[in-house]
Amino acid sequence: MDIPAMRANFAKAAATGDEAPLYFYSHLFLSHPETRAMFPVSMAHQRDRLFSALGEVVARVDDLDALVPILQQLGRDHRKFGTLAAHYPAVGASLLATLEHFDDQWSPELAKDWTEAYTLVAEVMVAAADEAAEQPAWWDADVVGHEVRAIDVAVLQLRPRARYDYLAGQSLSLETEVRPRLWRYYSPANAPRPDGLMEIHVKARDGGPVSSALVRRVGVGDVVRLGPPVGHIALHDDSDRDLLLVAGGMGLAPLKALVDQVARRGPARRVDLFVGARNEDHHYDRAALQRLEQENPWLTVTLAVSEDKISSLEQGDVGDVVMRHGPWLSREVFVAGPGPMVDDTVARLREHGVPPQRIHSEVFAPSRPGPSLDGEVTE
Amino acid sequence: MSSVQSESGNEERGLNPADVQNVRFTRASMMRPGYVDTEVDRVMSRVAEELARHIAEKAALRDEVRALRAHVEGLPVHEAPSDQAVRILSSAQQTADAYVAEAEEFSRQMTSEARTVYEEELRQARETAGAIIQSAQEAAARMTPAGADVPGRSVEELEEQVAYLKAFGSAVRVQLRSYLEALITDVESEWGKADPAALPQGPPRPPAQRSNRDGQPGGATAFSDNTVAQPAEEDVPATAVSHSAV
Repeated sequence: MDIPAMRANFAKAAATGDEAPLYFYSHLFLSHPETRAMFPVSMAHQRDRLFSALGEVVARVDDLDALVPILQQLGRDHRKFGTLAAHYPAVGASLLATLEHFDDQWSPELAKDWTEAYTLVAEVMVAAADEAAEQPAWWDADVVGHEVRAIDVAVLQLRPRARYDYLAGQSLSLETEVRPRLWRYYSPANAPRPDGLMEIHVKARDGGPVSSALVRRVGVGDVVRLGPPVGHIALHDDSDRDLLLVAGGMGLAPLKALVDQVARRGPARRVDLFVGARNEDHHYDRAALQRLEQENPWLTVTLAVSEDKISSLEQGDVGDVVMRHGPWLSREVFVAGPGPMVDDTVARLREHGVPPQRIHSEVFAPSRPGPSLDGEVTE
Repeated sequence: MSSVQSESGNEERGLNPADVQNVRFTRASMMRPGYVDTEVDRVMSRVAEELARHIAEKAALRDEVRALRAHVEGLPVHEAPSDQAVRILSSAQQTADAYVAEAEEFSRQMTSEARTVYEEELRQARETAGAIIQSAQEAAARMTPAGADVPGRSVEELEEQVAYLKAFGSAVRVQLRSYLEALITDVESEWGKADPAALPQGPPRPPAQRSNRDGQPGGATAFSDNTVAQPAEEDVPATAVSHSAV
């Protein structure tokens, strides 16, 4: 394979910006109309992602050790879109047509190299998808509870129809039939339960098609689809250190799941949970947290508000409030929330002297449609 | 009862999703109320969606039938699309993308404006309510004669004592906790100094806090040149002060 020549050829297509992906998808849909239904109405984000993903594959093509796990993950992840092995040749043909269309110096050698490379990529992805075949490609889950807690926040109870294994703190992708083919990431706010029920917290982002629909249109009796769990906030079994959990906004969900795990599975440990929000109305889960605190003597919940002068809750940014309590030097720390809040809190805790390897954080931003090649869920 | 296209003479045409969306029910009279509007609206919009889905499914099935028929008759099923076709579909897709983006942007503006208004109104309402309550309390205080003492201790005195005890309790808890945390930290660091080889290499497999399984002979000597009191004394007053108000 002449990798430099392939890279030069790919660069020509990539240099056209939106034009090449547009050509690719139109070509694919015209030659295989059945593939159109696998994509959302608006293809704008899809086009961006296709070429950035392809670009990463091309960039790493001579480092197979790094590339193969990425392709395997992609292959497994594509099952939930309804991708079948039969779709891969169709995509390959359209990809080649696209690369040819945007290169004046297209040659039979290039065609041969690309065919070889694509066949390899497809084989790895198909094999990984096949290996995961004993797992469902997606799980249907019934919405059995839907409670609007604030003007833009709803708490949903989901009951998967088949067994769904995950760890407390992980995230999962979710699709509703109201917004077909748009997958978004949410974190269950509870550890796995015997009855399989999952609590999902959703904030309607302004103009966000999926989150608004989940808050305002979806109701009890609707069905959503779940993808396999992903993510890295998790308690490790080999430590029973006391926990310090700091949540901002919707970052509460995975941390509440950790609290739930301590309650269900132990080991016994003290847990301090700090939850920050702009004002009292944004503390959408206050009643449930207070109940948890009453039921569990080892749990202390502190709510903070940053823009609510008349509230009786603790005042200030949640990172600031955390530092007013403490010290936290012996704790295992988990921080989840919006980017600035996470950065601020982590910086303060480091300055306070908590060893960096004991601080775990996850940024909760509006989730992007799929995990990036590096497996990051949120932006 | 409703205004489905009955007057226009195109009975040939099937019911389409737009027809369902456009159905308007006549208002029930004041004496005989009808269904809840929002419920009816929700059902109607689901019906429209379902109908749209069926229409799309029918089209897909027709395509499939055609492809299968072509296959049976030995005609090529997939011919490479012409550049012209690709161009036309591309521009149609771009148009669709632009509409979706515009709709999302519009929805974003509307909701964010609505939210701003909502939050401002709520804030004002809260402030007003706070002011009303405060003036009511002041009025109540003026109406109660100042010297009307209850036998024994007054409610206020009791409340004051309860508040004091609460603050005292939480201050004690904070002090105790600070002390314990400092103790744990110290034990951890001294444990490392006494026997560095016992420390885990690289990132962490922290010692379990409350188990003694890692305790070792060196621990006792390390503990005797005790530095525990220092951080405890420094930390405690500072945290305790900020807490006594609780």
